Amino acid sequence: MSYLDPITRRQWLTRAAVASAAVAGGAMGLTPGCAAAPESPAPAQSPAEALAKAGAPQKSRVVVIRHEAFGTSRDALAAGKVRAEDPPWRELLDEAAKTLGGDAKPADAWARWFKPADRISIKVNCLGYVTSPAMATSLAAALSACGVAPEQIILWDRTCHELQAAGYELRNSGAGPRCFGTDALAALRGNAGYAADVTTSGAIGSMYSRIVTDESTALISAPILKDHNIAGLSCGLKNFFGAIHNPNKYHENGCDPFVADVVAHPLIRDRLRLVVCGAMRPQYNGGPTVRPQWQWPYGGLLMATDPVALDRVALEIIARKRAAAGMPPLDAEKRPVRYLESAQARGLGTADLASIEVVSLGKPWMDVG
Amino acid sequence: MNRTRLARRDFLRALGAGACAACASCVLGRGVQAEAAAAPATAVRDARWFERLPDKVVRCQLCPRECLVAEDERGYCGVRENRGGDYKTLVYGAICSSNVDPIEKKPLFHYLPGTTALSVATAGCNFECKFCQNWNVSQYRPEQVASQVVPPEMLAKAAVDMAKANPEKKISTIAYTYTEPVVFSEYVHDTAAAGRAAGVGSVIVSNGYIREPALRDLCKHLTAVKIDLKAFTEKFYAEQCAGKLAPVLSTLEVLKDVGMHTEIVVLIIPTLNDSAEETAAMAKWLVGHMGPDVPVHFSRFHPIYRLNNLPITPIETLDRARKISMDAGLRYVYVGNVPFNEGESTYCPSCHKVVIKRIGYNVDAAGLKNGACAACGTKIAGVWSQEQALAFKPKDGPKPRRAGAK
Repeated sequence: MSYLDPITRRQWLTRAAVASAAVAGGAMGLTPGCAAAPESPAPAQSPAEALAKAGAPQKSRVVVIRHEAFGTSRDALAAGKVRAEDPPWRELLDEAAKTLGGDAKPADAWARWFKPADRISIKVNCLGYVTSPAMATSLAAALSACGVAPEQIILWDRTCHELQAAGYELRNSGAGPRCFGTDALAALRGNAGYAADVTTSGAIGSMYSRIVTDESTALISAPILKDHNIAGLSCGLKNFFGAIHNPNKYHENGCDPFVADVVAHPLIRDRLRLVVCGAMRPQYNGGPTVRPQWQWPYGGLLMATDPVALDRVALEIIARKRAAAGMPPLDAEKRPVRYLESAQARGLGTADLASIEVVSLGKPWMDVG
Repeated sequence: MNRTRLARRDFLRALGAGACAACASCVLGRGVQAEAAAAPATAVRDARWFERLPDKVVRCQLCPRECLVAEDERGYCGVRENRGGDYKTLVYGAICSSNVDPIEKKPLFHYLPGTTALSVATAGCNFECKFCQNWNVSQYRPEQVASQVVPPEMLAKAAVDMAKANPEKKISTIAYTYTEPVVFSEYVHDTAAAGRAAGVGSVIVSNGYIREPALRDLCKHLTAVKIDLKAFTEKFYAEQCAGKLAPVLSTLEVLKDVGMHTEIVVLIIPTLNDSAEETAAMAKWLVGHMGPDVPVHFSRFHPIYRLNNLPITPIETLDRARKISMDAGLRYVYVGNVPFNEGESTYCPSCHKVVIKRIGYNVDAAGLKNGACAACGTKIAGVWSQEQALAFKPKDGPKPRRAGAK
């Protein structure tokens, strides 16, 4: 049996219509607010711009919520008594969303970014140190607060094999969100599950996953905070290397400007609404491969609508930890994270830390001890 | 689909279908994009050219990129992967494209003219040329294309059997082509060795982006090489191919050094590499480093892949490149992808009579007798018999000096 159960013609037509609407609508996917869909297509805008128009702060806001605020002691986390899957993810997510959106109720916050008709794809990261399945499924559950039906939510990465190896349960039917890799669409739509045409964005020429092109009106990047031996950092932006068919072509020069170019393509840019980054035990060296000796119990969760700002804060956390551990800065190791500047130059968000409002919940975000 | 080793009978049948398709992208008789496949497990083998580094990181030593590959990651080519600190090729025998082509299609004009080659490819390439003709296999990862695992001995035997069953095709060679044979060099090496033992030569159609030790090792079993010299500026290589020119020139020097029969193709692309100055500089370098007898083909560009904004190369530009190169001292210069052009044929460098007449893939070698001009007896450089091809042994020579480039 295939990983992906065959869909009916009606389902296919429905999804195609939704996907077409997303494309035709241009920035429709970015329009904040759950209730009011635009009457006509709006020009493309960055997530930060969209949030600003919705009345949120002009300064890019990144919420860093620390696990200690929710009752589990850091000592327990450090001692390995609490697994990364154990934190109260749903509460963490709801609290972060409320803070990010400036709302009193979690549902209002989620509704700020998603509407019931959205088809939301959550891009997890299953290479090396992986996105917690518990966090991803809790995120999917939280989205139901604004009326998005679970079956309209997909947890995905490049391949079904990688998802399974990371602890995800593949699913394309029944209750709950669907979960499958791009490759699962190969049998139905050919071309290994990628769109048929090569499309360019800056320096890259790639085919994007049909999960993005056909199945989604909205995207969430759900990475895990980790070092990367070439790019310096693997987080919310680089996560989308898993959305193209040829990421191996774009690791030179520290992945710059390729990471920025992948996300700057309208297929991603116009759909990306939110970044939710797991940072319970980030890895500050030796990534993306799992290297427990360089992980530490930070106990955090990061959330932002500005993907560049979130990555910039994530980088700062890694940099501070490396300094505290007596390790040289990434620049000294000839792997500075240059793609953040390129991303800012492409209007994807803010790479200047001074222009980012970091809201700490619980322990201060800069405390990496 | 069949992701296991293919029965010999099935393979031969599939090859027959592929040959009928007469298309570089056919895959054993099936469309490459008909079905995505997992990288066949039987195609995973130890890679031969790499260095182990701390923390289970490896440095690939196959091509000049020298990719630093962390555990679970792949190199630039997408077909070599670090598994637990061991470096693996994922495409050993994983053939995604096959066909029986005229040897002139490679193009090799001074190598067994009028014969054909059983031509195969796996997924992957260590370049990303924006004008790639076979991007739908070269720019894919192994798990993204349908493929079937064919062990070296089976491929060599298939070539021999097909030659016997279809004598009119004159199948004399296995060609590793369409994508980039450097990235599946382990398979090329072993299959070429098996082919030699079975009486079949092997040629690669390559970008020449390979480090010297791997190249010299490969040359032990090859009988000819065609190199795509994409341009003669580092700018072109950087901007259009994501590569560098200097290592390619080094490869040409090594091929000259070992005595390998080598032909060179230059795809002339309007505004990017078509200036008279660049052609003259290239021709001068080739005469000086490869000698005047190296065959050079200037081919016509057609818009494709990521380079759709440029026109087809004017024939006049190709004719001019040919004239410039002959004026510089090259004796065998051709115009490619232009049927009926006089630059398709081989002329005696002494008496200028036609030695091999070509129109497209139709070949008349009546003017060639025992490797020499039938009219005046001048020796024509090349490999003109299977015996000559199979007798080739690379010379051991000193390391070439580093090539210079504009």
